[in-house]
Amino acid sequence: MAKIFKTKLTAATIVLIPACIGINYLGKLFASLLKLPLWLDSIGTCIGACLGGPIIGGLCGAVNNIVFGLTTGDNITLIYALTSLGIGIAVGVMARLGFMTSFPKAMLTAVVGGTAAVVISTPLNILFWGGTTGNVWGDALFAFTQAKGMSVGMGSFLDELVVDVPDKLLTLIIVYLIIKGLPKKLTSLYDVNTEVERLD
Amino acid sequence: MKSISLYKDMGTWLNLMHPYTKLLYIVAAISIPLIGSKLWLFGVFIAASLVILASGKVLRHAVPLLAFSATLIVVIFLVQGLFNHANEQVLFAIGPMTFYKEGVLFATKLGLNILNMLLSFGIFVLTTSPEELVDEMEKNGFSAKFGYVINSVFQILPQMMMTKDTITDAQRSRGLETEGSLGVRMKAFIPLISPVVMSSLVNTRERAIALEVRGFGRKNKKTWLADRPKHKGDKAIGAVLVLLIVLTIAGRVLGWL
Repeated sequence: MAKIFKTKLTAATIVLIPACIGINYLGKLFASLLKLPLWLDSIGTCIGACLGGPIIGGLCGAVNNIVFGLTTGDNITLIYALTSLGIGIAVGVMARLGFMTSFPKAMLTAVVGGTAAVVISTPLNILFWGGTTGNVWGDALFAFTQAKGMSVGMGSFLDELVVDVPDKLLTLIIVYLIIKGLPKKLTSLYDVNTEVERLD
Repeated sequence: MKSISLYKDMGTWLNLMHPYTKLLYIVAAISIPLIGSKLWLFGVFIAASLVILASGKVLRHAVPLLAFSATLIVVIFLVQGLFNHANEQVLFAIGPMTFYKEGVLFATKLGLNILNMLLSFGIFVLTTSPEELVDEMEKNGFSAKFGYVINSVFQILPQMMMTKDTITDAQRSRGLETEGSLGVRMKAFIPLISPVVMSSLVNTRERAIALEVRGFGRKNKKTWLADRPKHKGDKAIGAVLVLLIVLTIAGRVLGWL
């Protein structure tokens, strides 16, 4: 079990975090550029988690939201630092357990990551905005469940679920394709199980 | 290269204030109305934030921040006003939509909370440079490695934006469709993002080597390039803010509020 959370805090892993935050930002940017109804803002977090493990993944997620919350004025993201942290840890743990080695396994990781996001986001949504998420599809569903008399908790859970799980599925498809294509000389920098042999 | 930070150096007293004092203001502005749980407290802090923003000459720059929240607030009003479970008394009706008093009241509270949060954060965001905050945190013992992480986000992002533009143009000139139905746009996402992601990940290796060569991992004590001038008001304002928070908690416990 200890190996799952093992983290190397070298210059390589430190540099990985800002790069992943940049990737998160790009994902969000392209998603809005192409007018996709998903967020796609956790691609970097998931890459960080797959390469550096759950601790680096969680850090990528949390630092991402804190940096953007404190500098771009979109401080609504600040609240969701907890969600990003959870996604990073969940995906990192799955990756270390070997669930990123094949495409079907990567999809399972996506479901786990998506579920983590839903479980953490739902209480935050209820607490801060009374259950809505700000996503058109999800909020339409929330309004529908409320009109049908379902409880706020259940409605908000479904609201988050219909957005987060497809979002994480697409995210992990992209992450899987990218990780597969990375050169070995790069991925070996983050491999915790390799040993450095000294010649002196 | 355009920075993503909204920091504006206007040379006013707000720029000279210590970042911690501004952070303390955020804590006070958010916690006091929530602890006191009175609607007028939100009003007081929203007004205070607006006055502070105006005195720092950044009120104009705060408008785009509010635009962020506009849709969220509208959705909250619609959903809560129409469907809140506590809804009983009809407030008004527009066509087939009936708004109820309880839901609208609840939505007002949430909306004011969002506005209050955005404005108090706005003061911090618009008047504090990220480098300054990281420097001050490192002076108080924050890890230099994480300080680097935060600072380098601001250096990496403009670079990635340029790569993004290059790649979007390159893919379009090869005939990639970026407009059309949802399916077409979904398909365009992968060829657009993967080259940028790949190249920035490959770059991290070189950056790591460059950092290592410059002694990034050394544990020696580091010195700072710039000293920041102290602002006289920092201590006084900080004390007042803490006093206000304590008073609100006391008021709540003793039942004045």
